[in-house]
Amino acid sequence: MWRVLSGSFALPTPDVMLGIGLALVCAAVPLATPSAYALSFLFTVFMYGALAGSWNIIGGYAGYLSFGHAAFFGLGAYTTALLLFYFGWSPFLTLPLAGAVAALFAALVGYPCLRLRGPYFSLVTLILGLAMYSLALNLPFTQGSTGLFLPFLKVDVYTSHIIFYEIMLALLVIVTAVLRQITHTKMGVGLAAIREDEDAAGTLGVDATRLKLQAFMLSAFLTGLVGGVYSYYKSYLDPSFVFATSISITIVLMALFGGRLTWYGPLVGAVTLSVVNEVLTTQAPPQTARIVFGALLIGVIMFLPDGLMSIAQRLLPTLVMRRAQHPAARDETAL
Amino acid sequence: MLYELAQSLTSGLLIGSALAVLSVGFSMAWGITHVLNVAHCAFAVLAAYLGYWSLSLWGIDPLLALPAMLPLFFALGVAMHRLLIRTAARRAHDLGLATMVLTFGLGVVMENGMQLAWTPDPRVLKTAYSSLTFSVGPLIVQAPHLVAFGLATLTIGALYLFAERTFAGKAVRAVWQQPMGAALSGINLDRVTTIAYGLAVATSAVGGVAMSLLYTFDPATHLNWLVYVFLVVILGGVGSILGSALAGLIIGLIIGASSVFVPLAWNNLVLFGLLIVLLLLRPQGLLQR
Repeated sequence: MWRVLSGSFALPTPDVMLGIGLALVCAAVPLATPSAYALSFLFTVFMYGALAGSWNIIGGYAGYLSFGHAAFFGLGAYTTALLLFYFGWSPFLTLPLAGAVAALFAALVGYPCLRLRGPYFSLVTLILGLAMYSLALNLPFTQGSTGLFLPFLKVDVYTSHIIFYEIMLALLVIVTAVLRQITHTKMGVGLAAIREDEDAAGTLGVDATRLKLQAFMLSAFLTGLVGGVYSYYKSYLDPSFVFATSISITIVLMALFGGRLTWYGPLVGAVTLSVVNEVLTTQAPPQTARIVFGALLIGVIMFLPDGLMSIAQRLLPTLVMRRAQHPAARDETAL
Repeated sequence: MLYELAQSLTSGLLIGSALAVLSVGFSMAWGITHVLNVAHCAFAVLAAYLGYWSLSLWGIDPLLALPAMLPLFFALGVAMHRLLIRTAARRAHDLGLATMVLTFGLGVVMENGMQLAWTPDPRVLKTAYSSLTFSVGPLIVQAPHLVAFGLATLTIGALYLFAERTFAGKAVRAVWQQPMGAALSGINLDRVTTIAYGLAVATSAVGGVAMSLLYTFDPATHLNWLVYVFLVVILGGVGSILGSALAGLIIGLIIGASSVFVPLAWNNLVLFGLLIVLLLLRPQGLLQR
């Protein structure tokens, strides 16, 4: 009995402590009364961190690169927005529904689509994203391209910025915790086995169909939550943004850039690229920013197929890095 | 109703020929190297713009500018294969996925480059024969549709003859069917793939000009065209020239029919749904043996 207790109260590993410390520092940032601009920028960073992290469950761990995650993001966004718009239900209460709708959709499309492998899966998800955009544009109750105007929170603008900041931070922490936890479970090992060789994994007793579907649904659920918060934050919603292919691509790029085999890779990628994007869009037209993004995508694939973190792992073989490595990740130092 | 349907099917068939020529190169590159060139239609849109500007700046019809474009696009295809695809292929664990992401990046760069250069405004090509029509019996055929059909027939015919009759073409087919066997019989795989890439991108230029005769276009259009291309290639079977031609015509007929029965805004959804069903049922292609 004592043994079990002491085991469960053991000190967390260094990477967990580092993560908790960082989260606490971020949570305390509003105490220093930063500008509304800084808060909204950090909100975007957290949002993309959470999105890239959610994507990584299916795209990174299982190796099924989804190019249509904007569909889940948009579904989540529209779920809370429509409930607020038509029934006046607060998105903070209906948020789980946003995740559930996205997960349900993922279950429906995932069952047939996950049978496709490699580029075929990426292709079908890309088309699904485009189809959802067309659908949202043409359905009568979404008000198409006119969009939906949502009521603001009943507090002043700065306070509402802080509230959304903390909520998105909490979502990011949840996603990151889930992402890390998966690597320590049977599911994580199973997904890694599927990524490396799906047929061989099947012969070893990995129920690939079920695991992939679970991973896809979990990924969609978390993405839907983020979307559900986003629509309330923006208080205006139209299909051309929340269902945009560019969101899907940005998510993929961030995860690939940071390194999709680790739990912290997508986060690192999201932070780095959000900063790059912010600097570029404030200095140059949006097209230039996207050209740089596209070029980065090309560069990563050509020179760093395992992402930014593969360099870090080679250069910093510290305790933190070793502990944090995905158990089934390839030995990067051997390359 | 019946007349309307016949009219739509006729123009659908001609549109389908443009889709076929847009797709044939994509299909060839995919078949030979297992690389999905997602930027294929970005090249096509680039060609559409070059044709548009040659007409509006110098008054040269896109059809006359096309012969000058072909070597340029051939060179672009060769450069793309030499500089990007080969390097990525050496490092990638999964060639199909890696090159798909790579060409996606290329597509993003090209799309936004074109937006910077020529604004995101949609363009309409106004040629000397744009408003010309012919009547065949009770049906009306628009001249641009006929021109696109002619372009497509010529290009696909030439490509087919190249593949069937010339030595280089036979080498390309050999590599498609059995790369190892082809290499063992002394075919230089690298050279053949490079040629195939050059041809693929060159045909995308023809496809782009043909499409620009039929539709308005802007830099972001390439993703919409890509959906058509996927449909045609999946239906016709990856790598098959005649398959692409036939599938293009079939898709054209479907587009024509759906424009009669389905409201315009939902047309895209019909195509998306069709593509998803097709991918799920027979990803290796319906017309493939």
